[in-house]
Amino acid sequence: MIKKILKSFKLIKSGDWFVIFMFGILTVTSAKFLWGLPQGKYLEIYKNNEILATYSLNQELKKQIHGPKGVTEIIIDKGKVRFSSAPCPKKYCIHQGWINKANQIIVCIPNKISISIVGSKKKYDSINY
Amino acid sequence: MYLNNLLIFFLLASLLGCGESKTYHQKDFVFGTIIDIKIYGESEINATKVSTEIFKEFHRLHKLLHPWEKSVITDINNAISQKKSIAINNDEVISILTDAQNLEAITQSLFNPSIGKLIKLWGFHSNEYNQEVIPNPDTLKDLVSSKPSMKSIKIVKKVLESSNHNNQIDLGGYAKGYALDQSKKILKKNNIKNALINIGGNILAFGKHGEREWIVGIQNPRKPNAIATVSLKPGWTIGTSGDYQRFIIINNQRYPHLINPKTGYPENKTQSATILIPPSKNSGVLSDVFSKPLFIAKSENKINIARLLNIEDFLIIMNDDSIFISESLNNKINWEEDLDKKNIEIF
Repeated sequence: MIKKILKSFKLIKSGDWFVIFMFGILTVTSAKFLWGLPQGKYLEIYKNNEILATYSLNQELKKQIHGPKGVTEIIIDKGKVRFSSAPCPKKYCIHQGWINKANQIIVCIPNKISISIVGSKKKYDSINY
Repeated sequence: MYLNNLLIFFLLASLLGCGESKTYHQKDFVFGTIIDIKIYGESEINATKVSTEIFKEFHRLHKLLHPWEKSVITDINNAISQKKSIAINNDEVISILTDAQNLEAITQSLFNPSIGKLIKLWGFHSNEYNQEVIPNPDTLKDLVSSKPSMKSIKIVKKVLESSNHNNQIDLGGYAKGYALDQSKKILKKNNIKNALINIGGNILAFGKHGEREWIVGIQNPRKPNAIATVSLKPGWTIGTSGDYQRFIIINNQRYPHLINPKTGYPENKTQSATILIPPSKNSGVLSDVFSKPLFIAKSENKINIARLLNIEDFLIIMNDDSIFISESLNNKINWEEDLDKKNIEIF
């Protein structure tokens, strides 16, 4: 059994090990990072790095935004948000899919529109009055 | 098979490592104010048990020290006004009164817990502040010139006697701080490592919030938000005296509950005075008591009083929105508002 496994290991080349190793690191760090984030509450929409609007994430809403290349559409669906259509050539922003955690961001560079989730977390634990 | 088991083991181990500690939060209403207890990194059962014990202790102290509902303090006050001596069969009350005497001496009587008569005249011996008239100026003048003071109270062999019959003890500026020190003992006894206790603005940072320190917001006296935030190191306390929680308004003039014992009138040129106190056995009491002299003193004397009391971290907001802040606190504080730097004076 063990011999069999060791034999199969020989099929993996050093380049493969490198890829496995890098993905391992990526998995561990992103898991650590993402697990600690609080559930988001608000969506901020930016156009040309200026805040255009803030929406609650706890709703169902389709929103069209006019950018320099055309109309981008964003869908908010009870706690999560995504780009649903965009005039940009490669559609990277749409392929990002849903986001739902605070500090997550999707940027559409061609149409200069970005969305990010802001946590409702307060900046302090208690107030001195 | 062997590899599979190993894989499952690592998966489980990594999941266990991710178990995030929670903060348990409880509220209650004691001392005429909101009490907020946060306990971090304990089981829910343990956190609930300990906060219940702390609330129980606060209710006990509230009954014991109440300034106008029947308590040991009102018994003492009745005896004083009837020119009688009174036996106190409670060592805790004796040690509190002795401590209050010392603190009055240290603060040059700017903290004076024997001006219950003044506080009552201004209508603050009540759960609602609805007095609509200013007390008679002559009555105030006579009362102030009779110099009520803890100095004229003697406790010998558990018997209290006051040579000044205008003394009426009111521990309103002491009890909440004392309660904070008591909560410290309960947390230690129960092996709690991390908690944040807020008694109407007197806050104790016990331990930390996990990896980071506890962060406390400082109320903007005129807006419903924090003017600044500050991290409290383990064991530190913070206390604020302000004109915005307990006050009366007569003819559009605000009269806060903080009365200057030397004039008989509420101090109305200051909005708030905030101090940070480093860890010590009585850091709770000091956070409560020492904010009073800073609030009450004339603006030109405030800094000297802070120096006299060795308060390194203070923030005072005046009525014209000017701010006095110590250099030490200025280095720790995070402003949450864009303030006109011209209005901030650093000492």
